[in-house]
Amino acid sequence: MTPGWLLLIAGVGLVAGIFSAFKSPRVWLAATLAGAVAVFVAAVCMLASGVPWNWQPDFVIGGEKLHLQLDGISAFFLILLSVLGGAGTLYSSEYWTDKNHPASAPAGRAWWNGLLLNMGLVLVCANGLHFLIAWEIFTVCAYFLITRERQRPTARAAGWLYLAASHVAMIFLFAFFALLAARAGSWELGPMREHSELAPLFWLALVGFGIKAGIFPLHIWLPSAHANAPSHVSAILSGMAIKMGIYGLVRFTGWLPTPDSAGWVVAALGVISAVLGVAFALGQHDLKRLLAYHSVENIGIILIGLGFAMIAAAHGNAAWGQLALAGALLHVWNHGLFKALLFLGAGSVLHATGTREMSRLGGLWRALPWTASLFALGATAIAGLPPLNGFVSEWLVYLGLFDAISAHGPAAFAAIFAAIALGLTGALALACFVKVCGVVFLGLPRSEIAEHVHECGWRMRLPMLVLGAACVTIGLAPILFWPALATASAAWQPELANVTLPAPLVTLGAFHLALAALVILAGIFLWRRVQHNGVSRTGTWDCGYAAPTARMQYTAGSFAGIITGWFDWILRPQRHAHLPKKLFPAQADFEEHTPETVLENVVEPTASLVMRVSTTVRQLQHGRVQSYIFYLLLGLVALAILAVMGGTK
Amino acid sequence: MIVALDIILRLAAWLLLAPLLPGIINKVKAWVAGRRGPPVLQLYFDLAKLWRKSVVLSTAVSPAHVAGPAAAWIAIITAALLLPVGPAGASCSFRGDALLFVYLLAFARFCIVLAALDTGSAFEGMGVAREVSYAVLAEAAIITALLTLCVQSGSVSLATMLAPSAGAGAALLAAGLFGVLLAENCRVPFDDPNTHLELTMIHEVMVLDHSGPPLAAILHGASLKLLLFAVLLTEAVLPLGKLSLLQAIGALVASVFVVAIAIGLVESLLARLAFRRVPLLLTTAFLFCLFALLVAWKGGRL
Repeated sequence: MTPGWLLLIAGVGLVAGIFSAFKSPRVWLAATLAGAVAVFVAAVCMLASGVPWNWQPDFVIGGEKLHLQLDGISAFFLILLSVLGGAGTLYSSEYWTDKNHPASAPAGRAWWNGLLLNMGLVLVCANGLHFLIAWEIFTVCAYFLITRERQRPTARAAGWLYLAASHVAMIFLFAFFALLAARAGSWELGPMREHSELAPLFWLALVGFGIKAGIFPLHIWLPSAHANAPSHVSAILSGMAIKMGIYGLVRFTGWLPTPDSAGWVVAALGVISAVLGVAFALGQHDLKRLLAYHSVENIGIILIGLGFAMIAAAHGNAAWGQLALAGALLHVWNHGLFKALLFLGAGSVLHATGTREMSRLGGLWRALPWTASLFALGATAIAGLPPLNGFVSEWLVYLGLFDAISAHGPAAFAAIFAAIALGLTGALALACFVKVCGVVFLGLPRSEIAEHVHECGWRMRLPMLVLGAACVTIGLAPILFWPALATASAAWQPELANVTLPAPLVTLGAFHLALAALVILAGIFLWRRVQHNGVSRTGTWDCGYAAPTARMQYTAGSFAGIITGWFDWILRPQRHAHLPKKLFPAQADFEEHTPETVLENVVEPTASLVMRVSTTVRQLQHGRVQSYIFYLLLGLVALAILAVMGGTK
Repeated sequence: MIVALDIILRLAAWLLLAPLLPGIINKVKAWVAGRRGPPVLQLYFDLAKLWRKSVVLSTAVSPAHVAGPAAAWIAIITAALLLPVGPAGASCSFRGDALLFVYLLAFARFCIVLAALDTGSAFEGMGVAREVSYAVLAEAAIITALLTLCVQSGSVSLATMLAPSAGAGAALLAAGLFGVLLAENCRVPFDDPNTHLELTMIHEVMVLDHSGPPLAAILHGASLKLLLFAVLLTEAVLPLGKLSLLQAIGALVASVFVVAIAIGLVESLLARLAFRRVPLLLTTAFLFCLFALLVAWKGGRL
């Protein structure tokens, strides 16, 4: 079967899902999963054969002929879409049921399919107009998914912010595609690198796609939207929807010429997003908000790779550019997989306890052993630690940077800073995920809600298992995924076709395999030794404290306090403290909250300034006829003066 | 066959020699203080005793409390396999192994700190928070040191990077790496391995609730990590790869001995820093590495 038929099956499945969403959840589940499987097979077939698929029927939508195409880059992103879409579909069938959410679940299923369908369409559209239409529809579908819990004001606010930010992005994309169509003479998209006059359009694309991708400081919509959406929606938003921004950047830097400084700007934005994203994450107390900021961080890592690949492309396709690009592309998959896993895990915690507040959780590993171990796996992966997938992609980016440095080329100096920033990011991410795992899953329950909880069922567990298995597979056998990376790279830059394997992925995979096996063996060995020597159980020693309570455990805020102190200049945390006073202090409290600094200190003041100016200007328009006649007179006088002055020249 | 034998011999050497280093340091400290001090082999006796002891586990802990030390121990051992020994190279060497080395040590840290947080103790939480926070600066410094070596040798493989000497910036690099060594291994002035005040400790406070074989794994892993850093420091500075095998091993042993004495002297002569000063000292170590990098960079241009 050709990719075309498979994609048709997928489309039919997703549309059938929309229609069955209200009547029959089972039919919806089956149809959507079938659609996801069909997309997956189609994309894998394309990547395996390396032959792009093109379809241009005589079918006109909005005055433009339909043109669908599936090349290496589309297929690469479609695979991620199908895996995350399938996982989220199955997960939501237990997480967001008709029983628990009678008002929002059926429509949620329909919007979900709309989101998947239109993200898929964006990935295969090769016509600017249709690209925009599908882009707008998927943006709106995501809005309705984010606001599934409309009764909560925070969810409504998050939805509005998302909608507003997305439409600012949309304006830039309209401008980008319209100018592109005007200058190129057609809405048809395709390689046009020889039209060097198109290069300045890149900046419009960078802002438009950058807002969607959540590049710092354009990420303002991202934390609240991810935190307030249902968890399977957060997973697809973070795993896939923000990657659509990356897709746009990869696609159009591949097809269009770029200005000379483009690569440098992208890499610089990547460094800023990576370091500040994780710094903001450390300041969060809300589990899902924290994960959302990590999306900013990982988008940063992807952009560092992409930026250096663009610099290399502008300087004769140096070998280090291939490594950086391979790292960036692999990180797109990896981040999609482990971030979706973490969001689904967070959803399972939320499902069990009803709170996202980390300071009220603790000791959940007892009640949620599956969630806890899978979350820990995802945390190890996102912290970029061997032997999992996060390390493989960061390692490829690192190799690209190190090679750029030893090549002593034009990018060497920038690569030094990027490499150090990447090292900082890795260590900060480790600190952040130690905090999350330690506070949420280890220790003792900090409040009653964390005490009486239950593990999720198999329909929520299976998607997490699949995502976890994917993380492990990419980590232990990265070489299996090299052909996909090579095909996608070749679609980005035809000169990168037929490149040999630039990094010893086989050796790395073997090392990871040995490491994983040894860790398991050593764990079993040590456990048997412990059993052999005899175990006695007692309370935590805690330096001999006689009556410890669970609330004395270290909190998420104090844990991150040292590092967030270093970043006070940008985090600007708000602290409210009533310190203990006098002898026998009765009451004391301390509260710390890290706001979304860019939103509260830049965007909101700017917006309120615009509001104030507009309100003042509006007073001119009040409906008194006499004044309007006065305006007319003033206008006439002004025109007359202008005419007289102009006449003298 | 020969490869397997080589790996086994080297592993045995790494594993057996590692506990010697803390013994030497303690002897130096005792000598400076005018005491007789514990025997040099004290850690071997401690490890043997701990391995036979029964275990007291907190009622709060999960299986991660035992699995963590095991995983950390393995991570440090596999990192040792990546470190070359003079001209003999490493047991396992490939392009990019330098980064794997750094991240394996990070993985070991991840496992140890999770095992510590498992107890729910506030003290261990403090220790963990300090450990992961200071590691951020230490990691920046060590990545910079690797960049220096990379600029110098044009390679990303430890065996090639560590073979020549660090050139003009050797003293800077040595100072930077020595600072990282002290911080990463929780020695004075960053941390005091002998203190009995839990509030002021980093590493020791994280293992308060460990006992028996898991504690043995942690202590042995810590001593191996110290040895790895001492060897890394030596090889980064001295051109061991250019010597013959016997000379290289002789020089390596002598320099590791010197490093151990230096650590002992630092611990005897300096007091532990206040915690708010620690980031400043680590930043200094980072700047030393950065200046070494600039020197190497300029050297490459001349």
